[in-house]
Amino acid sequence: MTVRPLLEITDLSVTYWGRSLLGLRGKPFFAVKGANLAIRAGETLGLVGESGSGKSSIANTVLGLVPASSGSIRFGDHDLVAMKTRYPSEVRNQIQAVFQDPYSSLNPSMTVEGIVTEPLRVHTNMNKAERRERAIELLKLVSLQEEHLSRHPHQFSGGQRQRIAIASALALRPKLIVLDEPVSALDVSTQNQIINLLYERRDALGIAYLLIAHDLALVHHISDRIAVMYLGHIVEEGPSDRVYKNPAHPYTKALLDAVPLLDPDRQRARRESRKLQPALDTQRVADVGCPYKNRCPMAMPRCQTDMPPEYPVAGGGVANCFLLAPEVEGHHATKPSREKRIP
Amino acid sequence: MTVENAESAGAVGKPWRISASNVLVGVAVSILALLVFLAVFADVIAPYDPLRQNLINALQGPSARHWLGTDDLGRDVLSRLIYGCRIAVIAATEATAIAVALGVPIGLFIGYRGGWWDWVVMRIVEAIVSIPGIMVAIVIIAILGPGLHRAMIALGILFSTSFLRLARGVVLAEREEIYVRSARVIGASDSRILFRHIFPNIAPPLIVQVTLTVGAVLLSEAGLSFIGLGVQPPQASWGTMLNTAAAFMQLNWFLSIPPGIAIILTVLSVNLLGDVLRDSIGRGIAATAPEGRTATFEPSRSAASPAARPETRENEVLRVEGLEVMVGSDPGLPIITDLSFSIAQGETLGLVGESGSGKTMTGLAILGLMGAGLRITRGSIVLDGIDLRCLASAEIEKLRGDEVAMVFQDPTTSLNPAFTVGSQIAEVLRAKQGLSQRQAWDRAVALIERVGIPQPGARAKAYPHELSGGMAQRIAIARALSCNPSLLIADEPTTALDVTVQQEILDLFRDLQDEFGMAILFITHDLAVAADICDRISVMYAGEMVEMAGVDTLFHDPKHPYTAGLLSAMPHASDRNPPLPTIRGNVPRPGAWPAGCRFSNRCDFAVATCKQPVALTSGERMVRCLRADQLDLRPGT
Repeated sequence: MTVRPLLEITDLSVTYWGRSLLGLRGKPFFAVKGANLAIRAGETLGLVGESGSGKSSIANTVLGLVPASSGSIRFGDHDLVAMKTRYPSEVRNQIQAVFQDPYSSLNPSMTVEGIVTEPLRVHTNMNKAERRERAIELLKLVSLQEEHLSRHPHQFSGGQRQRIAIASALALRPKLIVLDEPVSALDVSTQNQIINLLYERRDALGIAYLLIAHDLALVHHISDRIAVMYLGHIVEEGPSDRVYKNPAHPYTKALLDAVPLLDPDRQRARRESRKLQPALDTQRVADVGCPYKNRCPMAMPRCQTDMPPEYPVAGGGVANCFLLAPEVEGHHATKPSREKRIP
Repeated sequence: MTVENAESAGAVGKPWRISASNVLVGVAVSILALLVFLAVFADVIAPYDPLRQNLINALQGPSARHWLGTDDLGRDVLSRLIYGCRIAVIAATEATAIAVALGVPIGLFIGYRGGWWDWVVMRIVEAIVSIPGIMVAIVIIAILGPGLHRAMIALGILFSTSFLRLARGVVLAEREEIYVRSARVIGASDSRILFRHIFPNIAPPLIVQVTLTVGAVLLSEAGLSFIGLGVQPPQASWGTMLNTAAAFMQLNWFLSIPPGIAIILTVLSVNLLGDVLRDSIGRGIAATAPEGRTATFEPSRSAASPAARPETRENEVLRVEGLEVMVGSDPGLPIITDLSFSIAQGETLGLVGESGSGKTMTGLAILGLMGAGLRITRGSIVLDGIDLRCLASAEIEKLRGDEVAMVFQDPTTSLNPAFTVGSQIAEVLRAKQGLSQRQAWDRAVALIERVGIPQPGARAKAYPHELSGGMAQRIAIARALSCNPSLLIADEPTTALDVTVQQEILDLFRDLQDEFGMAILFITHDLAVAADICDRISVMYAGEMVEMAGVDTLFHDPKHPYTAGLLSAMPHASDRNPPLPTIRGNVPRPGAWPAGCRFSNRCDFAVATCKQPVALTSGERMVRCLRADQLDLRPGT
């Protein structure tokens, strides 16, 4: 634990400003509010949440595509927020990305060779022959062949395109790859091929991943740690197994309970238990207090006014929920998980 | 791991496909080649010096010595016409080059930067474009002074506005593409992103714009020379020749013919070439000739009827038997083959498969909404005892909404953004059930309340964009159920939604089915969603059904290796220990299906006999696998 994380995000906020008619600043939209995250070298952090939760904003801020409005992002010895999206070459070549849609993430007018070697052209002095050699090497890393070099993206299937995108991201031997929904546009049978490939490459090359996804089960598979976002806030963070099996925050629980199961019997049982729960206010926006208070079945008076701070969770990690506060010990959410751990 | 053939789909238009246009293009190209040839070798080809005067032979008609006659100063018209080619080529090249060199970089820059730069430049451009072009050119010439090169600079500046707007428009669209974002993540500089990444995608429309500009420049040059602002006498250009011809119209009308025809032919050739280039490079323009809006039903060729028949169910609502759908003209490419299933009242049948399996097409085929180029070539679709294939398209239209309704994947695009959601539901009720405006609205509000939307009266007046995805999907469901259909087709209705919302929508479907008793055909790629909502599940692969069973049976005891593969590939099924189970290879596209069992090339259990066609077993539990009885594919074994 004494090793400094590779990426450390502290109290990060991202705000988008709407534009009024005359091009002046309009209403602000707080996409991320006070987020804390850390990724160690070679580790995978899964960032999950529903659409609009701010997970892509965090990814884009780390990538320098969107400026942070406050807070800090430390990467190695560099302060990324201070660079204001203009990263110098030694930072750029260490942070790469793979995006969701393989149909628009590859330039249709470039060949595979052009796409895969583009990072080398920007950041290295390699000549054409050296670049080509590296490109062949990279294609082999993602199970494609040399003959694919001269083809254009439209000649490949979605899974193959995503392999090309991964090859390009690996070209500079980065320390961190941001994976923004890397498989959600792919077919079920292809998804796992790509996940396995990412996993293999991570172990072989010691790369850290920041994995953005909405599928908790999938994130659980390949992440070491999971962070859960709701309305711009990170509400829970911790080791993957702990978050997946013993969620501490009511929102994480709701998210997990909503994932359909492959077992019709368990599905049926869950449906029955859902019927017993009271209907909740569907109003989602919360300006003061806990962001989840309006949908939370366990909301307390305190949640209406105060923003819950980070409380440590048994089994590792933190969650922003007053149920974990020491004073309500005795009837809080993590108790069952403690009982479970008694052999 | 084979690379697919992109050509089969016909999405990419191939150049030089149609022979009639081939001929025209040939003619156009030869005319332009001749023009350039004459311009380059004018000194050698022209029979006379174009400036040599011979006043005795002035204003003569065509003769053996002067094929096209002579002008007012006795100069040979043919020679002047040939030398005019040189001016035409110089003029076109110069003005077009200036226009491109000026317009494209500025357009790229302001499109990429946006903000104030864009605002200022675009207002200037709009000011220029709002004045007739030739007037702008005249003003610029008034500043620069007359002469060919100055006139061409003027035209270049004038025509640069169209290149500027073209480049800006393309950049504005491409800038949002993810590949540009990828380039920024790589660390490519702005100029590199502009010229290396975005610029190649501008090339096709740019080429077309160049050809159109060349034509326009030729006309403008002739016009400017005609009024004395371009090429100055005694130099020969088509414009000055026309000028002369106009002055001596009464004495020798023939003078106007040669330059006139030269201008017309050249401009026509250039524009024709531009049109053809646009059609061939343009993204998928006129790729398939549409034969009509709805799919055509062909009479059944029942002779080779397929063997498998779904068992007859009580209160059967829909029965599909031996359905075959083809794309393209005779014989066409099969998309769906030998598909049979039935759904009873109050039952939910899941149609599960990956992209390219034909599940969405099945839904559209039932609705008769397959689109151009697709047709049902075999089989029957019986809804409430009526064979839809025997109905005229107007009769099917009547059934749509009344008897069968559909809910699509993306609620924000399936609802019309221009109307309030309440009026969209009310419209269906008025058209299909003949309710009055008042009645229809009240019923719409009641329906909106029924699908679980609070404050239905107020929400009915909302526009689709004012609602969240989950709310919009509830509205779409309310609209689909407005006429109480006996069959509801739901095509990936929860795929675009967040998981917590997905759960609510699935619960809603179940509640509504309990109340209205409609049959649901639930199309999804997500087996877990199917496990939640469906009574029975049909698994599709490469255009055919490979397995059908009750939901519990299918999940606990899959019989087809593809079903078992899908089940184990779902992330929910396995533990946190990579590698995750996979199915090797990709789903084959239509036309690339293996002979025999279409899954055989990806199947771990394939044997030699799998190369022969495999029939679907009949009855409650249908499987299309030769080895179904030998294999134990139960999860966890």
